[in-house]
Amino acid sequence: MKVTICIGSSCHLKGSRQVIERLQQLIRDNNLGDSIELCGTFCMKNCVNGVSVTVDDNLFSVKPDSVDSFFEKEILKR
Amino acid sequence: MNDLCVDVGYKSIIKFGEQLCGDMVQIVKNPESTILVLADGLGSGVKANILATLTSKIISTMIAEHMSIEECVNTITATLPICKTRGVAYSTFSIIKVTNNDFAEIIQYDNPNVILLREGKHFDYPTEGRTISGKTVLYSKIDLQCGDVFITMSDGAIYAGVGETLNFGWQRDDIIDYIEREYRTDFSAQGVAAKIVDACNDLYMQKPGDDTTVAAIKVRKREAVNLMFGPPRNPADDNKMLAMFFAKHGKHIVSGGTTSNITAKYLGKPLVASINYIDPEVPPTAEIEGVDLVTEGVLTINKVLEYAKDCGGEDKLYSEWHSKNDGASQLARMLFDEATDINFYVGRAINPAHQNPNLPIGFNIKMQLVDEISNELKRMGKTVNVSYF
Repeated sequence: MKVTICIGSSCHLKGSRQVIERLQQLIRDNNLGDSIELCGTFCMKNCVNGVSVTVDDNLFSVKPDSVDSFFEKEILKR
Repeated sequence: MNDLCVDVGYKSIIKFGEQLCGDMVQIVKNPESTILVLADGLGSGVKANILATLTSKIISTMIAEHMSIEECVNTITATLPICKTRGVAYSTFSIIKVTNNDFAEIIQYDNPNVILLREGKHFDYPTEGRTISGKTVLYSKIDLQCGDVFITMSDGAIYAGVGETLNFGWQRDDIIDYIEREYRTDFSAQGVAAKIVDACNDLYMQKPGDDTTVAAIKVRKREAVNLMFGPPRNPADDNKMLAMFFAKHGKHIVSGGTTSNITAKYLGKPLVASINYIDPEVPPTAEIEGVDLVTEGVLTINKVLEYAKDCGGEDKLYSEWHSKNDGASQLARMLFDEATDINFYVGRAINPAHQNPNLPIGFNIKMQLVDEISNELKRMGKTVNVSYF
């Protein structure tokens, strides 16, 4: 599974770094390092709803405080 | 003309307890020559500052207007106010004039002798004494080689640490040893000057006993860096802007999310962004084959501007942007150290999502950043071109 996080200006200001760090932690905690590829990208043209994250090709908006529920709902369940 | 150019930089520290510097550096650049004058006024504080300012300004202006050194010295002698306590009008000076990036003339009066580094090693050049209105002035003419670094300093440098950390101060030979050891070919003139002045400041234990200034001129190859920042206002111009950008000789830097995307599309190569936050304030960089550096836009450039302002001011962040590998530090090194000619390709598209008063990344901020950074780079002596699309 490929999870891509936008690190463009707008998403950065909305907390890309916190989202990435939390996701890295959650992936480690759940031993999913082999099955999930975490990567970055620039502007997904969805700046208003940042932080933009795609799981395979589905677009989501994640806030630093909603990373855990996003991880549970959209990543663990797949 | 050849493909060489000169890079000039200097740094001063002020005598502990004083507010004005009694050393003064003036740099005049003409199409055919670059003139650097370092003057050290008698004493310290206001009086020294006035003497040094007058001396350096008069000499640099007169030399730039092709007046002879004799006329300059006579003018200074006749003009400088006479010191009440000492009964003399006095300011030492060193002049380095580089003509057509081909040869240098050095004229020195009572400052520590100019040091020339050639291929990173001390090079002893011939000097000839001339007497002008009772003053003995040293004159040298040197054919330039790529990589030559001329270093001139006020006597605060060779007195660094006298009676404190060192018995006899930091002699010229010690400075030569030090800079030969520390010098790397990628140092800018500013970097060389800062390196020596910082060492002096340490020897003075951060309480300089005299104004201390080092100025350097480095002879180097022209190096162009092209920076694209923002997509064009009209998306139909994407290819035109990119074609002009990539047609330019030199390195290519792309800054901005959308800008990187259109560049990747134009080149037909994937954009790979890193998620490695080296500096929490600066978004990670990305890679596109065929582009030397890909960064985020406004926030990264803003950080580069901060570094640029620091370079011309307190110079406290030098080791930060010199050692780190985040987008802003890499960009700063390419622009400040490597580049001699910088071409900005600025796109004026407005990203509606950025026009939010709560986000510090709006269109006006971006345009202002371009203006400010261009001015800082010009102050560093770079040739800057800005084209808008």
